[in-house]
Amino acid sequence: MGALDRLSQIGNQISAGVTGGGRDKILQKNADDIVVTCALRTPFTKGGKGGFKDTHAADLMAGALRGLIERSKIDPALVEDIKVGTVLAPGGGATEMRAAALVAGFPESTAVHTLNRQCSSGLQACVDIANQIRAGMIEVGVGAGVESMSTNYGPGAVAEFSDLLEGHTEAANCKVPMGVLSEDMAKDKGVSRKDQDAFAASSFQKAVKAQKEGLFKEEILPLKAKFEDPKSGETKEILVERDDGVRDGVTAESLGKIRAAFAKDGSIHAGNASQVSDGAAAVLLMKRSTAEKLGQPILGKFVAASVVGVKPLLMGIGPWKAIPKVFELTGLNKDDVDIYEINEAFASQCLWCANELGIPLEKINPKGGAIAFGHPLGCTGARQVSTLLYELRRTGKKVGVTSMCVGTGMGMAAVWVAE
Amino acid sequence: MASMLEFRTPGYNPYAVKYSPYYDSRLAVATASNYGIVGNGRLFCLGLSAAGVQCEKSFETNDAQYDLAWSEINENQLIVACGDGSIKLFDLGVENFPVMNFHEHKRETFSVCWNPITKDSFISSSWDGTVKLWSPTRNESIKTLPVGCCTYSTSYCPSNPALISSVSADSSLRIFDLRTPVTAKYHLTNVIPVHAPATGGQGYSRLADGSIYSGAVPNEVLTHDWNKYNDTVIATAGVDRIIRTFDIRNPAGGPLAMMTGHEYAVRRVAWSPHASDILVSASYDMSVRVWTDGSTMPQNVQHIVPSGRQPETVRAGTQLGLMNRHTEFVTGVDWCLFGAGGWCASAGWDERVLLWDAASLLRG
Repeated sequence: MGALDRLSQIGNQISAGVTGGGRDKILQKNADDIVVTCALRTPFTKGGKGGFKDTHAADLMAGALRGLIERSKIDPALVEDIKVGTVLAPGGGATEMRAAALVAGFPESTAVHTLNRQCSSGLQACVDIANQIRAGMIEVGVGAGVESMSTNYGPGAVAEFSDLLEGHTEAANCKVPMGVLSEDMAKDKGVSRKDQDAFAASSFQKAVKAQKEGLFKEEILPLKAKFEDPKSGETKEILVERDDGVRDGVTAESLGKIRAAFAKDGSIHAGNASQVSDGAAAVLLMKRSTAEKLGQPILGKFVAASVVGVKPLLMGIGPWKAIPKVFELTGLNKDDVDIYEINEAFASQCLWCANELGIPLEKINPKGGAIAFGHPLGCTGARQVSTLLYELRRTGKKVGVTSMCVGTGMGMAAVWVAE
Repeated sequence: MASMLEFRTPGYNPYAVKYSPYYDSRLAVATASNYGIVGNGRLFCLGLSAAGVQCEKSFETNDAQYDLAWSEINENQLIVACGDGSIKLFDLGVENFPVMNFHEHKRETFSVCWNPITKDSFISSSWDGTVKLWSPTRNESIKTLPVGCCTYSTSYCPSNPALISSVSADSSLRIFDLRTPVTAKYHLTNVIPVHAPATGGQGYSRLADGSIYSGAVPNEVLTHDWNKYNDTVIATAGVDRIIRTFDIRNPAGGPLAMMTGHEYAVRRVAWSPHASDILVSASYDMSVRVWTDGSTMPQNVQHIVPSGRQPETVRAGTQLGLMNRHTEFVTGVDWCLFGAGGWCASAGWDERVLLWDAASLLRG
């Protein structure tokens, strides 16, 4: 019954609850913000034939981590934990990623662990590190992701299902191959082949343009790799500098000629689905107060993330459910966001999610996406962070969302602010 | 708005205004000095005559008054919700002092509502996180319904004396049914998250333009009212400035309709006693607005999901009129039950009570 309580209650009623209004709130800078001070990725190269076809995942990760130390000039001893998202690595990659961190120049005092949330592993790694910092468990950490689909992709990627799992319809659906279920989903949701091809072609065209204008320069860390020439058989060391999956001259018409991959009358083919690729990415995270103390330049901040589950057979709709949830957490609405990085697992699902959420296509993947330059599974989520933050900064925009669908029926989304 | 009547409450800032259910010329205003933050309260009982609005009686209380309700069984009695947690029953025939004092709430009492069907009981809600059920003849409450956080408003269903609703700071609309056994839930039968989209059925809601309604941030709900014609429909409003309607038969269905336009928190909503789709709202943005919830209009559904499974669609209500004569927060508004229909009383922190015809707003 105190007057001050009454006064503050009325004050809150007036100042809170700005419809939307979340944007103003997340644009504020506070000492306990979780900020990104460095984000980079290796080039993405084509699985089985690209520049990294003979490079192990751990070597890619070691390269990216070393690059992170060099670019950020952080004292590696200050990094307390590294989390690496990786999907296909046997044994979860736990052993070789710890080894990779040591090779990269981190001391033995820097802990390392790996995680696997399928295609969102890289994002989950960043989110986990951010949450560890927020909770006070660590002060400085690295969220990372890596995948060598050249060396680890194959029929062994999914274990045999037991009779128990096979006997449960929804559980058994978790094993349906991505291409098959996406084909069914495209049919079910009425996404036409024409629309998918147009979306895919524009991904290629945007990536070509961005490459020509050098827009990937800031995020890409060129990396030396051993490469066995498929013709001569000789092994040499090459410098991989660019995404080699990006093809010039791709149009909706040229994609229209490709035969569907998963069904005779289907609509999904190699040209409107994500590429099989190799690559690694890493993001350095800490509190704003820590960054200021260490003199680290602030690239942007992590605001919030969401994770949702959807039907395993409709895994492609993950972003459609995850993005509204992260809006609910942050008070944002779809118009508050300047750029969306939504992973192009398949043109069909990305396009469907965008249309359903009412997101204008010009706000999505302005430098192209996984259809143009590839989707190294565990890496993508961490890759999106650097792609997004540098593009926001270049264009003077502020608020971005990264999101992806996740195999077995999940979705993740995260909100980032560039500074 | 030529025919607007005014009454001033100098030194007192109104928090609620209510028409008498017995007389078209009688209304009462609950007020507080110093904007209800500190100091006493005064209840003004007003009468309309050829000479305008006049104060026929007033009653002082030691703390602020935040709400009032006329007795449904005695035309001369009314109750007020007081800042010290008490509820006081005044009789127009008894000078100065309340005839009954009900004091169990441990913090500010924010709302009171008289049972409109059985007329033998009333309910109150409080910052102490409870709703209490009272008989006007007993000092001790009959029942206490826990809500758990500041409960800004409570109300009876207009057609069923056993149904009680409340809205509170946790962004929830609760329905209690006194016919159910007490059990661990204290008659609680439904909790509807006011900010959320549909969670049942297809699991999401769509707006009328086809886009997805992803819900809003949880916010304090300050007011609600039962529709007088559809006894399953409740309107809510509060800090997030949006007025929503819900059908309590479908608690997971998300809002039926949303009305946006207020620029600050909505302090009070009241359904028309004369039309099933009309309601009025009072806000900190100093305006009173008249709305239709769109339930009597044909809906133009633009978006059909290809698979044929339809999500819940949220209707867009329409603002029909705006009364902007108040010069401070508007905290109370009520409809007159009598006459041609459309007369409203509004009261605000500008120390004024205004009586005006909503129908004149609609005509332009």
